[in-house]
Amino acid sequence: MIRVLLVEDDRDLRGTLRDALALEGYEVSTAASLSEGLALWTHARPAPDLVLLDLGLPDGDGETLLATLRRRDATPVLVISARQADGQKIRLLDAGADDYLVKPFSIAELLARLRVALRHRGTATLPAQTRYEAGGLVVDLSAHRVSLGGDTVHLTPTEFKLLARLVRSAGQVVTHRQLLSDVWGDEFTEHTHYLRLYMGQLRAKLEADPADPQLLLTEPGVGYRLLD
Amino acid sequence: MDLANQAMLFVTASVLASIWLGAPASFAFALMCMLSLNWGFVPPRGSFTVDLERHAVLLGAMLLVSWLIAGLVWRLRAQAAAARDAACWAARLQVVGEALRDSADPSAQAQPIAEALAALGGRPAALMLLHDELPPADLAEMALWHGEVSDDERAGLWLCLRQSQPFGPGTGRHGEQPAWYLPLRSRGASHGAALVRLANPESASDADRARAQALCDLLGLSLQRAALARQTEAARELAQTQGVRNALLASISHDYRTPLAVILGAASSLQAQGERLSAVQRERLAQQIVDEVEQLSRMTDNTLQLARLDAPGVALRLDWESAEEIVGTALAHARRRDPQRRLHGRLEPNLPLLRCDALLLSQLLDNLVDNALKYSEGPVELVARLQAPGEASGWPQVVMSVRDRGVGIAPAERRRVFEVFQRGDAAPTTRGAGVGLAVCRAIARAHGGELRLRARAHGGSSFELWLPVVPVPAHEGSRA
Repeated sequence: MIRVLLVEDDRDLRGTLRDALALEGYEVSTAASLSEGLALWTHARPAPDLVLLDLGLPDGDGETLLATLRRRDATPVLVISARQADGQKIRLLDAGADDYLVKPFSIAELLARLRVALRHRGTATLPAQTRYEAGGLVVDLSAHRVSLGGDTVHLTPTEFKLLARLVRSAGQVVTHRQLLSDVWGDEFTEHTHYLRLYMGQLRAKLEADPADPQLLLTEPGVGYRLLD
Repeated sequence: MDLANQAMLFVTASVLASIWLGAPASFAFALMCMLSLNWGFVPPRGSFTVDLERHAVLLGAMLLVSWLIAGLVWRLRAQAAAARDAACWAARLQVVGEALRDSADPSAQAQPIAEALAALGGRPAALMLLHDELPPADLAEMALWHGEVSDDERAGLWLCLRQSQPFGPGTGRHGEQPAWYLPLRSRGASHGAALVRLANPESASDADRARAQALCDLLGLSLQRAALARQTEAARELAQTQGVRNALLASISHDYRTPLAVILGAASSLQAQGERLSAVQRERLAQQIVDEVEQLSRMTDNTLQLARLDAPGVALRLDWESAEEIVGTALAHARRRDPQRRLHGRLEPNLPLLRCDALLLSQLLDNLVDNALKYSEGPVELVARLQAPGEASGWPQVVMSVRDRGVGIAPAERRRVFEVFQRGDAAPTTRGAGVGLAVCRAIARAHGGELRLRARAHGGSSFELWLPVVPVPAHEGSRA
């Protein structure tokens, strides 16, 4: 059974989420504060498989919990944030959180994100995902090959690196900073305009209507997500 | 050479000497010239006695003329020095005045003013500036202090400030003090006081005190002006907060009631009749709750955003964004509320990147698209194009428009739709009710752009966001 640690201070939301997750067959432990979450995380045996972390906690910053978690292992962390907490949300994603949900969100959306995060946990210890298939697009990272509807698509080296980075996190949001750092290098993390240009080129080659993308999705102000 | 000519030479010598010498020395020199003429040339020579009466008159006249000229020269020199001094002081006042006028915080100019006062008094000067209103008690922390002061001096400064009267030598009050205490006066009140310590209290001149007071008043007026500016700003903020609060109240009282009524109806029906309802009915009620909550959530976002954008000094999270992505996001967001796929996007190729806050622009387009879908039948277009510089403005702009074929908006209503309706207004009958369009306009303006409403030629409306194009920095990474 998959164990989920839910850190959320609002009692009603905590109850609703716990019941909904339990109904889907997850084993849920709940914490109402950061310290409680940290204690549960430290002492729970076996350790949780995934953490759902709300940002607006009464006793401190979600970042400390994430830092503690990341020192130990790569347990997936889903951040739940209110809309005002944009800056903090992006910092947590950059610091290694797996995905985020903005309140209010639907249970269906939460379950979908949960499944993606758990699947990536499965591949984190294995060789990284090297093959991606969706909507007629096939990306084979090991063979360096991209095809759309059976036809080979020619990508420039930078376009390929960008696509490969998104494929490795398919279904999850990848922040601008992460993309710029992984594809161009750490000194380019502020050069968002590169990203816009190359993403435009990728969409022109891979999307039927680049203005209405179905695969390379935009998360405004945060980053990009490749359709799962 | 006769005696008269010799006398003229001596007079010339004493006049020339008076140009360089001080007044007493010039008088003494003239006397010496007269005596040496008497000794060396007036018969009998070698003595100070004078034989002839006319020689005595000559010597007397010579001395008188020399002294007169020396006196006149001395007065002229004194006047020239005073004029130089006054000009120098006027220049200094002007510099201080300009510095005060240009600085938003007059207390930053305390240092140069204290230096000027020290130059007048001959010893270090000190200043006390009030933070704000005159405090009820003499509390040191209620004022800004510049320069060291003793306890007595501090008490003197407070007294001077409270009475708005100068003390010290020559003022007729506390003349025994070794310093002037001068209030920093403005119209009707004082905003601090200055302590001008005097090197020579006995010889302190009224002119210097008048100068010191003029300098103090200059600072006092600036402090008053700064205090007024602060009060105006505070009043403006208060009015703005009030406006936003009114909008919020209006929005809650008007816009929130319908969705809340639907939610309560559906939820209580599920609660009370749950078992007796068919699965289809339950599903429909649940869907109603979800839809209305999403609507409430959007309205809450809009209201909060409007409050945020209306606050002074709001910071946008600006980044380089592509118009294609912003339009794409709006299309993706609208899809669930647009089952019949009435919304279509259209983009001019090769639009420049925009310098903007992507979340805000998404919110703006979401609102416009929502309105268009809600208040019109038939297709809705989301179009982005580049407007070359020309009649509209001196620089290129990106125009994003949401166009519908609805009934349109009456000319009289066109301006009103962007305004937040206030409590007491008649309930709006057209779209634009609540804060949706007001927040759109606030977002456009925060980006240095404009939101316009245009009636379309064959019916319907076009809401247009005009954004200035900012040149993208050189990008060495764009080769591909």
